[in-house]
Amino acid sequence: MRKGIVQLVAIGVVIGVAVALVAVLFQWLPESASEEFDRIQDIYWFATWMSVVIFAVVAAVVVYSVWKWRVPPDDDAEGPPIHGHTGLEIAWTAVPAILVIALGIVSAVVLSRNAEEKEGALEVRALGQQFAWTFEYPELGDFETGELVLPVGRQAQFTMESVDVIHSFWVPNLGQKMDAVPGIETEIFVTPKRTGEFAVVCTELCGLGHATMRAKARVVTPAEFDQWIEEQRT
Amino acid sequence: MTATHPSPDVQQYPAHFEPPHGSTWRTFFGPGLVRGAWMTVAGFLIGMLLVLALRWWWGWEPLWNTEVILVVGGMVLAPIGFLAGIGSFDYWLHYISGRPTRPEDHSGHGAKTWKDYFRVNTDHKVIGIQYLVTTFAFFTIGGLMAMFFRAELAQPGLQFVDSQTFNGLVSVHATLMIFLFIIPAFAGLANFAVPLMLGAPDMAFPRLNALSFWLLPIAGLMFVASFLAPGGAFGAGWTGYAPLAEGQPLGQTFFNMGVQWAGASSIMTALNFLVTIITMRAPGMTFWRMPLLVWANFTTSLLVVLATPFIAGSQFFVMFDRVMHTSFFVPEGGGYVLGYQHIFWFYSHPAVYIMMLPGFGIVSEVISSMSRKPIFGYRLMALSLLGILVLGFSVWAHHMFVAGMADWLRVPMMITTLLIAIPTGIKVFSWIATLWRGRIHLTTPMLFALGFVTMFVIGGLSGIYLGSVPIDIAASDTYFIVAHIHYVLFGGSVFTIYAGVYYWFPKMTGRMYSETLGKWHFWMTFLSFNATFFPMHYVGLRGMPRRVFDYDEAFGNMNLFISIASFVLGASFVLFVYNVITSWQRGPVAEANPWRARTLEWQVSSPPPIFNFDEIPQVVGGPYEYGVPGARHAILTPTKEAQKEAEEVHA
Amino acid sequence: MTAHAEPLHGHEDHHGPPPANQSSRVDARTLGMLLFIGSEIMLFGSFFAAYFFVRVVNPGAPDQWPPEPYHFPVFVAGVNTAILVTSSFTMHWALQCIKRGERAGFLAGMVLTFLMGLAFLLTQVVEYLNVGFNTGDGAFASVFFGLTGLHGAHVFVGLSLLLMVIIRGFRGHFSPEHHHGVELPGIYWHFVDVMWIVVYATVYLL
Ligand code: HEA
Ligand code: HEA
Ligand code: CUA
Ligand SMILES: [Cu+2]
Repeated sequence: MRKGIVQLVAIGVVIGVAVALVAVLFQWLPESASEEFDRIQDIYWFATWMSVVIFAVVAAVVVYSVWKWRVPPDDDAEGPPIHGHTGLEIAWTAVPAILVIALGIVSAVVLSRNAEEKEGALEVRALGQQFAWTFEYPELGDFETGELVLPVGRQAQFTMESVDVIHSFWVPNLGQKMDAVPGIETEIFVTPKRTGEFAVVCTELCGLGHATMRAKARVVTPAEFDQWIEEQRT
Repeated sequence: MTATHPSPDVQQYPAHFEPPHGSTWRTFFGPGLVRGAWMTVAGFLIGMLLVLALRWWWGWEPLWNTEVILVVGGMVLAPIGFLAGIGSFDYWLHYISGRPTRPEDHSGHGAKTWKDYFRVNTDHKVIGIQYLVTTFAFFTIGGLMAMFFRAELAQPGLQFVDSQTFNGLVSVHATLMIFLFIIPAFAGLANFAVPLMLGAPDMAFPRLNALSFWLLPIAGLMFVASFLAPGGAFGAGWTGYAPLAEGQPLGQTFFNMGVQWAGASSIMTALNFLVTIITMRAPGMTFWRMPLLVWANFTTSLLVVLATPFIAGSQFFVMFDRVMHTSFFVPEGGGYVLGYQHIFWFYSHPAVYIMMLPGFGIVSEVISSMSRKPIFGYRLMALSLLGILVLGFSVWAHHMFVAGMADWLRVPMMITTLLIAIPTGIKVFSWIATLWRGRIHLTTPMLFALGFVTMFVIGGLSGIYLGSVPIDIAASDTYFIVAHIHYVLFGGSVFTIYAGVYYWFPKMTGRMYSETLGKWHFWMTFLSFNATFFPMHYVGLRGMPRRVFDYDEAFGNMNLFISIASFVLGASFVLFVYNVITSWQRGPVAEANPWRARTLEWQVSSPPPIFNFDEIPQVVGGPYEYGVPGARHAILTPTKEAQKEAEEVHA
Repeated sequence: MTAHAEPLHGHEDHHGPPPANQSSRVDARTLGMLLFIGSEIMLFGSFFAAYFFVRVVNPGAPDQWPPEPYHFPVFVAGVNTAILVTSSFTMHWALQCIKRGERAGFLAGMVLTFLMGLAFLLTQVVEYLNVGFNTGDGAFASVFFGLTGLHGAHVFVGLSLLLMVIIRGFRGHFSPEHHHGVELPGIYWHFVDVMWIVVYATVYLL
């Protein structure tokens, strides 16, 4: 029996390492460009390590059992009549409970931090319409653009609106996403932390042109941003 | 009302009431497909005239309104005409009008030729097979649509279809898979197995059972026919969100109404299961001695009865908004857009458990009998189903984390969502504990069951990612969701359906399938399934939204790979179909109990006799007492058929 | 019971299923009806949900309900409520009569119930014609017609069931021993009635 447990653990470790390699060798997440996305990525890794272990445990038991106890079709014997084991059952109720509650708490904390309005937030209105995004900066002037430009390091407060059907605003590298719903105003906060060019995509099916409802987002230095605003005003 | 509970307040049927079979009169006016055909047309015409008459009376312009006529004539009265024509209502109409009926009439029972599968058959075993064949037909159609749009997605940009057709293909694909494959395929398996497992001669309401089946092709054809509607098939996704759905072309009404027919079918079947399980268990079959498949269908049926009316409501509202110019979800008229999503998901989240719990039941049967061990923690297995049932009603808004709903709802919904991992985990761990030290027979159903356990854990874990609101904010409405959907629905539900079909195949057909082909089918499916859907997690997180025909060049290679893998996955289905058809025709004759299982359906001949048991069995113990010396599940006198067969074998 | 009623397993060569074991004290058909009503309650639930979304949750909901210049015919509907509630009593009376074997009272009760149901439905139609707004007049009208219309459809179904009982009643199919066919439509009718009280309170009074 002792030997069996060692073998089982060995299989588990092999599977776990293999899955962990898949998790780290590929770049699953887009490179984060916002403080909010950093926090989301932390939970992502929490969930990933948890999942790697859980999957390894389940797969190891399945593989080990089949390897060890497989019998030919004509075998007529029956297995030992094990009906349950209270200790084990308590364990596999309690451990997942602890894990998911931990995940829930971390998530709730991140959620509320990602929704905190900081002072001096830049107000941006994102208008969804079949099939293009329009952005407005109500504090900075009366103009509209099809390109989203944000200053690095300053929190942006997005207010989403739609005039026809539901759209959804997403910049993969910034992490945050929110639907633009006709009749309701929705909002998210994003604090870009590095400059660069990113894609804005609409992720809610909104009709024939949904796939092409994309735009460009640029995160620039504050100086460049001010200059861009100047240009837009004129 | 039923064969098994004859109501004494009806009279005997006089002899020679109906003209003999085969006469022309009988062909046209007797119940059957011919009468069904002309009564469909008649139903449509009546509906059309009704609409025209009312519109004329009210003075509404224009007189001819295609959408209204289609809804009333084509989607309500024509189907009713069809149902009446094939004879679903004959008995009830006689009963209602006080004419003689024959409660003990078993002419609707059993199938002697293939033709008996094409009439209103009241035998639960025939109905089970009718369900399975129909649902696999729709699986083929839905799958071929997936092949079509995967071909389109192999490269960025539009190649083969226009974007309305693309959206239509995706929407109809999912709709067929959900409403015409997973849900009814489970209903079919359970229809066959549950009464047998309970030691009952049939379902509680055999005629209602037949009616529920015949509603199904109506719904399916309606979904498929939407491609013929001007403007194309409904293209707002299977979720049909308002207000997009309200601006869709005519095809959307096919979805609105098709869902009503499919939903009615599900509710009737669920009622039937509940009543059967509660009132028709064999003596000694206490709730704690029921096989887990029965438990699973019991909980699922409760979910269906309580949740399905909500999707009916949601589709009615959309249809009213479209046809009667109401403003349930029209903000300009004072409507509330998010109301749709709340109502829709109040059904459609429980629906995902409707699509999974019966599979849990199947897998419990398979794993226990193939490991030759009692199921580990039987009571907790049953209780965890109830736990999922209760929690399942409290998580619907996890589909709306980014929908702009009230902020305060997010965290409570996240917590309940995550808690579902606990009862589900209990099930997963109990299955693998059942394997432990068993004597494992790696047959095809067992392979699918084990494939299910591992793949469902992946799908469930990706569900946990999504349950965490911040991760969902990043991953929602991307291919990560598509990956989750297929890991739980294909790796989960479809694998269990395969396991169930292989497991009960000998019982249903009396013949054995080919084990070699079955194993090939499993491995080919298992590998290509992972190759198709695992990479979707990646493209999704990286930034590819779902429901798009065009995407960033960067995802080109990955999508090409996915498409090729999906074609292999499609091809693997051919192995299954070939195996089933050839084995059904000329496979080796199956014994009564090839798996040496303990549950009742294996104690009668394969296929079971027309009324299942000659005498109702006496249940004396649990259903999975493998390895317990002298333990028995039930005592029953072998049926005459089985006896005859046994004598022949020993002669 | 009429003269031509015969024992069930009349003919000799009958070979059918062994009678199923009755594993619960509840009658299968009654249970089926109760579960069906559970499902119906959920269907009404979805309509009530739509109602409250439009009226309460919606940030753009009007302060006044119904919005100016519309009015709901509270009084007519109140009279209608009284009619429907009374019909529940006559239904109950009819059932009690047949249980005691009083055929005349049973038939009278059924016919009265049916007529009251019909009166309710016709009043409803007249109300629709004179209510002063139509389905296209905004979300308040949508939920008004939605809830009352759904209920009206149920009254229609209930009436069909009652009609069936009446036909079979006149043909003498019910007796003190066999009145299931009266009881089940009766349960349904009571459900339709109770549901109306909830609908009335929500739509007209609240
Ligand atoms: C069979 C169908 C099925 C099943 C069973 C599930 C199961 C789960 N689903 Fe899934 N889901 C769908 C079908 C299904 N889902 C579909 C079709 C959609 C998309 C709809 C659409 O928009 O088109 C969807 C979408 C969906 C979303 C919305 C995503 C979005 O649109 O943004 C979310 C979010 O929370 C979610 C979560 C979950 C969770 C938490 C479970 C849980 O029940 C999973 C529980 C299981 C496990 C966790 C694994 C086993 C457990 C253990 C081994 C114990 C240890 C585990 C831990 C400690 C974590 N699902
Ligand atoms: C039970 C449910 C189920 C099943 C079994 C499947 C099966 C498959 N699904 Fe489906 N799918 C959904 C449920 C399901 N899907 C849902 C709910 C959605 C969301 C829709 C929405 O957004 O509204 C979705 C969406 C969806 C998408 C996303 C579309 C988009 O967002 O734009 C994709 C993309 O690849 C996809 C692919 C596939 C593939 C390749 C299969 C394959 O497994 C199919 C394989 C089966 C066959 C092909 C059968 C027929 C085969 C033959 C007859 C053999 C001959 C054919 C060849 C050799 C080519 N599905
Ligand atoms: Cu806008 Cu999709
Ligand atoms: Cu869900």
